[in-house]
Amino acid sequence: MAEAVSRPEGSRGLFWTSIVVVYAAIVLFPIFWMATMMVKPNDAMFARPTQWLFVPTLDHFSYVIEQGFHWSLLTSFVLCSISTLLVVIIGTPAAYAFARFEMKGKDDLFLFILGSRMAPPVCLVIPFYLIYSKVGLLDSFLGLTLAYMTFNLSFYVWVLRSFCRDLPVELEEAAALEGWSKVQVFRRVVFPLLRNGIVATSVLCFIFAWNEFLFAFMLGGNSVTTLPVSIPKLITSQGVRWGEMAVVGMTALVPVLIVVFILQRHIVRGLTLGAVKG
Amino acid sequence: MSATTEAAPAHAPKASALRESAWYPYILIAPSMITLVVVSLVPFIYAIYLSFHQAKFGRVRDFIWFDNYATLLSDERFWNSIGVAATFVFIAVPIEFMLGLVGALVLNQNVRGRSVLVPLLFMPTMMAPIVVGLLWKIMLAGSWGFFSYNVLERFNILTDTSIFASPDLALYALIFVDIWQWTPFMMLAFFAGLQALPLGPYRAAAVDGANPLQIFFHITLPMMTPLLAVIGLLRFIDAFKVFDTIYILTNGGPGTTTETPSILANKMTFEFWNIGEASALAVLVWIAFFAFCTIFYQVAKKRLNAF
Repeated sequence: MAEAVSRPEGSRGLFWTSIVVVYAAIVLFPIFWMATMMVKPNDAMFARPTQWLFVPTLDHFSYVIEQGFHWSLLTSFVLCSISTLLVVIIGTPAAYAFARFEMKGKDDLFLFILGSRMAPPVCLVIPFYLIYSKVGLLDSFLGLTLAYMTFNLSFYVWVLRSFCRDLPVELEEAAALEGWSKVQVFRRVVFPLLRNGIVATSVLCFIFAWNEFLFAFMLGGNSVTTLPVSIPKLITSQGVRWGEMAVVGMTALVPVLIVVFILQRHIVRGLTLGAVKG
Repeated sequence: MSATTEAAPAHAPKASALRESAWYPYILIAPSMITLVVVSLVPFIYAIYLSFHQAKFGRVRDFIWFDNYATLLSDERFWNSIGVAATFVFIAVPIEFMLGLVGALVLNQNVRGRSVLVPLLFMPTMMAPIVVGLLWKIMLAGSWGFFSYNVLERFNILTDTSIFASPDLALYALIFVDIWQWTPFMMLAFFAGLQALPLGPYRAAAVDGANPLQIFFHITLPMMTPLLAVIGLLRFIDAFKVFDTIYILTNGGPGTTTETPSILANKMTFEFWNIGEASALAVLVWIAFFAFCTIFYQVAKKRLNAF
């Protein structure tokens, strides 16, 4: 809120605003360009010099549907929803406990959580692949749901804990003095207060799962194919299907776009693991 | 950074009503801990087991002590991958950091329409890395890519070929993509930090007639230091493990010029099926990461008062 002190006149505000707008336009141009490729005929796509005007076509969309990519969309949606729901159910009590109670070895446990979040996925995918091939979890919903826990559960516990710490402890104590059981205190006092934090954090988990590529690529397969995995599949022996890739890529982008607009205040906090109270 | 509201002081009698049973918190964390042990500790231990065995094409054979590690550490390709990752991280992250800080200071001016601009600026960071890769594959495609044709060819940097096929430039193209994706994150994190700074020191500085540079170096920067450090470290850790964008853009090529440890480990596993050595690589990377995390956590917690 440093701006309040040195608040400039309106014209200077316009100056800074235009700088940010120009910057945003440059940075976002590639996204816009990819969007146009969804409806760009192939010959216009590869034209030199770059063609700005063209007759739009829906060919790319029809190919994408012919190839059954809407099933990948459905798979992604179901998989990400299930894994996020599990994370919320398992992780919420843990986040609360870490924020409220003293425990032996708390720092070590916490480091374990942080370590799980930071571990490079490529290190995990090797043992996962071998274990899964032995126990028959390759190409299954359960297998991917579990794999997604490595980064999302630890992320969820870590970030939600920072939301928990912002809650005033007095309310819970008062409720406990009233003779409420611990479960009642959690359900009727903590949970309602924490709802915004839970929504913000879990939606970020959903997005991480939605964007995830390596696990889905290596541990998924023909029956469980997520949207990101279907993108490299469009690099065929007859050449790269750019327009179709653009369609799938933009489809993957839409939920992210919606979430970012709704949750903008909480995203910074989530991505910085709660170090910034956005 | 945050006022800790952990357990209430011991002398407060009310608090005991919440805390009386020692096992309650452990019950709350048990499901998470069990899950994390299964999905992250077990694979780690299994990777250690594999790294001590001769394992190729999915068959685990003899126990060979540290042979896989010895082979790996004497392999030029391994050291090349470390060098590539170091170059990538030590160029990309500082640039993202500086651009992010400048961007945050600009955003902190009297900018209007932030509620629309901020989410728009966040788009690159929140996109799937594989889509980011695709995006730049399109923009930088040889001869017809928008950016290749209109910028690179026009300035005679490259003609008629994809920048990702150039041994000298491919890594810098990847760095450019990373900067494109992550500068907005730095910018908005720093901006959130600026917005949370207390006003008092600024009022005092205004009374004293300090100029903007003095205000920045004597007030803003010192108060922001913990946050800058935490975000910078976080980005360092994340940048080391970038996989998806590199995989789709170059997959380590041309040659091994963009082959980071992540890409190399993946190739060792799923292309050469040399699982023992790949596991050794994974274990080394894992240990390095964990050591870094430990230091990161201690520093962030004690020195920087973050988390």
